[in-house]
Amino acid sequence: MSDHLSPATLNALADGELAADELASVTEHLHGCSACTSHALEQSLLKSATARAGKRYALPDDMRERMERLVLSQNASNRVVEERTPSLRLPTNRPVRWVDWAGWAVAATLLVSAGGLTVVEVNGRRAQTAAVERAALVTEVGDQHIATLAANLPPQVLSSDRHTVKPWFQGKIPFSFNLPEGLPEDTKLEGANLVYLHNRPVAQLLYDIGRHRVSVFVQQRTAGAEWSAPIAEHVGFRLAGFSTNELDVVAISDVDPVKLTGLIALIKRAQLE
Amino acid sequence: MTLLPWKRAEEETSARPSVFEDLALPLLPALHNIAYWLTRNASDAEDLVQETFLKSLRGFAGFEAGSNFKAWIFRILRNTYLTSRTGLAARRTVALEEELDEGGESGPGAYPEGAIDRETPEMNLLRLAERAALHSAMEKLPPPLLEVVLLCDVEEMKYKEIAAILEVPIGTVMSRIARARAHLRRSLEDNTFTREFRA
Repeated sequence: MSDHLSPATLNALADGELAADELASVTEHLHGCSACTSHALEQSLLKSATARAGKRYALPDDMRERMERLVLSQNASNRVVEERTPSLRLPTNRPVRWVDWAGWAVAATLLVSAGGLTVVEVNGRRAQTAAVERAALVTEVGDQHIATLAANLPPQVLSSDRHTVKPWFQGKIPFSFNLPEGLPEDTKLEGANLVYLHNRPVAQLLYDIGRHRVSVFVQQRTAGAEWSAPIAEHVGFRLAGFSTNELDVVAISDVDPVKLTGLIALIKRAQLE
Repeated sequence: MTLLPWKRAEEETSARPSVFEDLALPLLPALHNIAYWLTRNASDAEDLVQETFLKSLRGFAGFEAGSNFKAWIFRILRNTYLTSRTGLAARRTVALEEELDEGGESGPGAYPEGAIDRETPEMNLLRLAERAALHSAMEKLPPPLLEVVLLCDVEEMKYKEIAAILEVPIGTVMSRIARARAHLRRSLEDNTFTREFRA
């Protein structure tokens, strides 16, 4: 079989992955080898049949529309503030007579009312967007923590020394943070991972409190809502967090909420040092 | 000047508000098809696609204009799937098999010799005409092999793009494709044998 084309070459041929010189040499071989020609044909038939069979599941009728609405609503919430600002501009270079003052007064009243409504609406939309962002963050933090538990792999930086863990992130993330010292007796830093939330680099600090694993996600502060709730729940895990001017920090675990908030308070205090 | 691509792109995003729709919506049928194959469930597939859209919308600031959007969004779909409940369950199921098989992924020369020394192309052609048999054969593929088949054959992606999506070396992509096709052939042959035996 050593004179025949290898399976790798036949696959690459079917997949159009051969370089020009390799293709020329393979084509020349196929001209004189019926066995390899058969195999090449079979590879090609299998590929095209798989391609046809693989296109199996059609998009549900209303799904495109729903996705379009989803994208539009996300974009709209981003643009709402910018779009409303120009409508508040008033002409200033026209001579003003006393009859105009009455008009201005009415206009001002309407403007204040409209402005008030606008502010209420914008705040409402902001609150809605913040709630969606917060829910998405909770889901993603939950998924990442579960994935870490399921993978059961050692941390990318395996150390209980904060002076080893913190420098490991230098050059990997576009922000800096402090790690607390003087942890409670049953709490231990196990290490850390570099992960991605919303496609942004995030430091995942791994602590053990007793036999419970805690993931603390530290990321650069975004324009979204601050983490303000003392504790939240998601698929059996508890989350606690805080925001500073530069950082958003969220911890997740199935540990006792008092211990979780205790750890997050220590991390918060460390950021003020 | 910033060296961080997600920062640089963030500033540009507001000037191209409709680009995401233009890039993502045409890929919706392909994303949904792959999501359905991976989750094997209509409702989970829709959830997976929706979650992928939300994540990619939020992360679009980090997408570098001019790079491969299709590979980027498929990677988000795959990572979202892997951290979902069904994805985690599937990964646990195939973990042992992966550990055993990946040991042989030292290079493209390590393929099973019997993978192509089978029957004649004409006989296989008859079998390949049966879409149901091929569906069944694809359903039996372990997820790591199914995803390379879907990306390579259905989405017609290059090995390099697949390697970027799966975050594995190109050699691993090549060996998974070879193993996936060997699996498919065996399933199709078993299917034919069973039918002939029953007849």
